[in-house]
Parts: sequence; C-alpha cells; structure tokens
Amino acid sequence: MLKKTAIEKISELAAVLMDKGSLLAPVKEVSGHNFAEIKDPQKVDLNFYNTIISPKGAFFPHKEDFIKYKIGKPVSEAELTEVDPKPVFLFGVRPCDVKSFSIMDIHFNAAGIVDPYWSQRRKATTIFGYAYDLNQPVDPADFYNSLGIYAADPEGSDIFMVKKDKDLLLKSITPKGEEILAKLNTLIDAGKDDEKYYEETLQKGKEYKTRFLCIDQDVIAKKLEAIFHNNDFWTKVSFACLSCGACTFVCPNCYCFDICDDTMFGKGTRRRVWDACMFTDFTLEASGHNPRTQVFQRLRQKINHKYSYHVKKYGVISCVGCGRCTRSCPVNIDIYSIVEEALKA
Amino acid sequence: MTDFKKIEENLKKEAKRLLESGEVTVVLAYGKGFDEQHPMPYATKSVADVDNIVFNEYCNYNMARYLVRYPQGTKIAIAVKAADSRAVIQLIQEEKVKRENLVLLGIPVFGMKNPKTGEVIDSKTTSGMYNPVLYDILLGDEVHGQKIVSPYDVLAQYEVLDKDARWEFWKEQFDKCIRCYACRKACPMCYCDPCFIDQNKPKWADKAPQSPGNMMYHLTRFHHLAGRCIDCGECSRACPVDIPLYLFHKKVSKECEEMFNQAAGMSIEDKPVLVNFRVEDSDKILE
Repeated sequence: MLKKTAIEKISELAAVLMDKGSLLAPVKEVSGHNFAEIKDPQKVDLNFYNTIISPKGAFFPHKEDFIKYKIGKPVSEAELTEVDPKPVFLFGVRPCDVKSFSIMDIHFNAAGIVDPYWSQRRKATTIFGYAYDLNQPVDPADFYNSLGIYAADPEGSDIFMVKKDKDLLLKSITPKGEEILAKLNTLIDAGKDDEKYYEETLQKGKEYKTRFLCIDQDVIAKKLEAIFHNNDFWTKVSFACLSCGACTFVCPNCYCFDICDDTMFGKGTRRRVWDACMFTDFTLEASGHNPRTQVFQRLRQKINHKYSYHVKKYGVISCVGCGRCTRSCPVNIDIYSIVEEALKA
Repeated sequence: MTDFKKIEENLKKEAKRLLESGEVTVVLAYGKGFDEQHPMPYATKSVADVDNIVFNEYCNYNMARYLVRYPQGTKIAIAVKAADSRAVIQLIQEEKVKRENLVLLGIPVFGMKNPKTGEVIDSKTTSGMYNPVLYDILLGDEVHGQKIVSPYDVLAQYEVLDKDARWEFWKEQFDKCIRCYACRKACPMCYCDPCFIDQNKPKWADKAPQSPGNMMYHLTRFHHLAGRCIDCGECSRACPVDIPLYLFHKKVSKECEEMFNQAAGMSIEDKPVLVNFRVEDSDKILE
C-alpha cells in the first residue's frame, strides 16, 4: 500500500499518530535534531540529515527505572516499574539506524535472555523508516555503504517513507505497517507516478555513495585479533582520544549499561543507565584493579568489540556506519579510518 | 588573515629540528584527520612522522590537555595558540608540568573556525586573544590591528537575567546533558584522577542523565575551575549537545578577576588565586 501526504501537513499526520499512541519523531534543538516524544504536533521536523543521538533510546532509554523501594522496608513492598504498553510510533528513522535495531535485538531479545523492557517496547513500536534525501550531499563521516546498507533501504521498517519534492510517500512494508497505514485517515492514495517515483528512489539509493571500504567481516575480525598486542598501532590511533563517552552515547549499537541504586531520604530507585567502555571506571574492579587503565586499551576494546568479538560471537559487525561517533568526537577520531588502518597493518 | 600554510611549514621545520637534536622526545601538534576539515591532535615522536603534521583553521584543540599524560620530566615541544599557552602557564603554576621540560611553539592566529558551524571562533566562546602569552619560538607573525573585544562582553545578555531566570536558564541547559563527560575530558585543567563524579565513596551524584545529578556535576566542575579556567572554549566545542558552558566559566572568571585582579594563566610567576593569600585580596566574598 502506498499513501502520501504533503510535507507541510506533517503535523496533521503527527496529530493522528499521537491520538493512537505515543509518537517519537525528530525535533529541532539548538545543536541539531534529536528524537523526542512529541507533545506538540507542530514540532515534528523532517528537515534533518540525521539526529545527533541515535534512536536506540526508543527501546533502550538512557535511564530506565526498574524498582522503587524504601530503605528498611521488606522487599515485598518494593514496586516494579512496568513498561507502558501503549503503541509507539517511531517516526523518521534512517535506514542505517533501522538496521541497528536488528543488531541490538541479538543482545536484548535473542542471546539467551530476553530483556522484557526492550522486547515489550519493540513489540509495541511501529517503525517509520525514512530514506535519506538523495538530493542532499552525503555527510563525509557516513560510511553505511561499507556495511551493506543503502540510503533508501526499506528493510526492517514497518512503513517506509520517501520524500518526493513537497510530498511524503509512505509505503507499508510489514503487515503491522499495512494495518497502521490503512488507519491514517489524513493520508491520500498515491498515484501511478508516485509508485514509479518510490521504486526509482529505492534504486537510486544504491547510487547515493557514502565512504566505502570493502569490509569482509571475517577478515577484519581475524585481523583485529592478530594485531591485538600491537601496542604501537593502538597507541598511535588512539593518541588523540580523550576517553569521553560521546561516541558510545550517540552510537545506535552501543548497548553497555550500568545498574545502579540511587538512594536519598530513605527512598531508593534501582535503575539501568547507559555506560561507556571509554570511561576509566568502566572496568574498575572492587579490588581496585583496573585491567584497562590506558586510553589505547579502551579504544581497542571498542573497535574490537564492534568489529571482532561481535563477529565471532554473533556473526555480524556491531556498527551500521551512521557516522555519528565521528561527527560527535571532539577530536575527530574516525572509526572508519581506524578499521582502514587495521586492515593495512 | 593568518598564513596557515606558513605556520604549518614552520611547525614541521621546528618539530624536525627539535626531534633530530634530541631536545625533545615528542612534539604535540596537529595531524591529518579523515578530511581537511577534521584534523586531529597529533603526537610526533620521530622525524619520519613530521610530514603528518598539519595546521589549518580547524586545529582548535588545546594540546595542553595532553601534557599531563606524560611522566614528569619528559621533554615535550607543544604547539600553543593564545589560550593554549595560558593553559600551559596555569599547569606550570599548578606544578603539573615544569617550564624547563617544555618547548613552546607559539602560534599567533586569527580566524580559527568551528567545523560544526563554520563560524569564526572569537571572544564569544573563548578568550578571543590572538597571540600566545608565552612561547619559545614564534611560528608566524604576531596578530595586530584586529578588534580587541573583551571576553566578558558576551555575558551582558546573561547578566541582565535575575537570580530565578538564571536558575531556569541553567536548569534547561543541564537537562540536555547526556553525561558523556566530553567537557571535562577536553579541558586542559580537568586532570583529577579520579574526578569527583566518578567516585562512589561517597557517591556525589547519581549516574543517570538527569537533575540533580547533572546539576551537581556541572556546578561542581564550574567551581573547581574557578580562577583556573583559561577560556579556551574547548568544553563547549566538545559538547555534543551544545551546552554553552563557556558562559558560566566566563562569569566565574570575571568575578575572580575583579576580586583578585588576576586572570588565569597569564604569568608563570603568579600563584593560582584560590591557593594564594595576599593581604590586599578582596573581602567581597565575606561581605
């Protein structure tokens, strides 16, 4: 099913979606766009390249309360925090980010233990993928082509959206998407030329070139394993690294977290908070020993986790080439260049 | 306009000379990044690597940030722009580095740009100085004749706000914080190990990106930098969500300067204001 709406009427579509559940969509902030829960339909803004922070927070929020309790009271009085079962519409997700959800599913849904928070949200959410605007220049940091992803790939989306001049075309991809799309009464039926335009855009998306490096996942995994002890290589590529957590927090595929208790005035909350392997205290053990005291060890861990351990354990690279880490790095550390160097090392 | 190419050539020339003569073991400057707009901090340890050195309008990094990573006694040459030289001076005052172990390659420059916005970096987010305060070798011509704007002028829009409005302003700004700590990591003066925010005995603030934890982190950091911030603007530039941290730092610096008649990192003879006592010091704080 292909439907369409004028982009200037996007707030009407937003209002309808808000009526049916909660809507997460890009909004313009001072520093750029980010996904946020929409309270005012006028705030939805599709005039963006990509968001600063990835949409992973829709399923794996930066902070997630698990249990609220009172100190000194029995465990039976503690309250579990439940996920709101309301339908969620995640609107305007770029193809590389849509791909990241399926990689994250491995950890939260398929690696033996099912994370109820992630999986409930995944089930309740309809993903509106959104092709990159092929008339805009590619950001120099992007390299999703190297990971086999193209600018207009509908894979993984429930509904896929393509911008056609002043219109937005919406195509249902999954039965879930089809059901939702049929109910969106502000949309009008698309014509024959729209069908043609949509199909053409999917094709043209393959010609929209990001940086490209031939990355065979088994080759890079082995290579990184082979150079693990090459301290010269790692100290060189990590010299500039400040060891902050900006790259991991904007990344759609970083999933490390810390579970901590926040207690004050006799009340406590146990919650999950994003953590970063780039932080000094990430591997600090209770004894005081820290296996990764050096910056190069931490950056090496990050690259190896994504491009080596993850391949060996789950058969897929844990990176989608969205370019966020490179764009957000205060010192322009570029994971693509490091992988390129590693292959040459 | 600054001749960036000439500075780059001089940087390479001096780096080569210093490494060849064994005067230093490492040269901290700027190197190639993934494209021209994105150079990177770069440590040159051998003559063979000198060709990787670059200098252009996007080399904003304050290389003084990297000084404390080296063991005391390491002979280091470091490229310093105006604010960077102040950071080095401040680190010398705080005895984190020794003057005799450093060779300062001074870079007078006007027209540095923020690669994110393309805007020229000026007194709004930094000290707005053009010439290094302290150097051993100057790599370009001193900048003269440019308009001198007080780094505190930008505070005017903030100072008109009353106490409540300021509180609201900062509350809103800190709500954006994702606690990636890029600000403290980019800061040449944030060298505490561990940083108070990483301690858990006592735990000073909640780890989640929300107030009051965010507030605790930023306000404490602001105050730890009182009289020490050299206004390089790196914290604000590093921030992925563009919190105007420079505003608070400038405000505190201004107050310190008014009270103690001393700006941070201007002379190696100075002592940091908050560890020094002089009879003539202002009593304003007690009033």
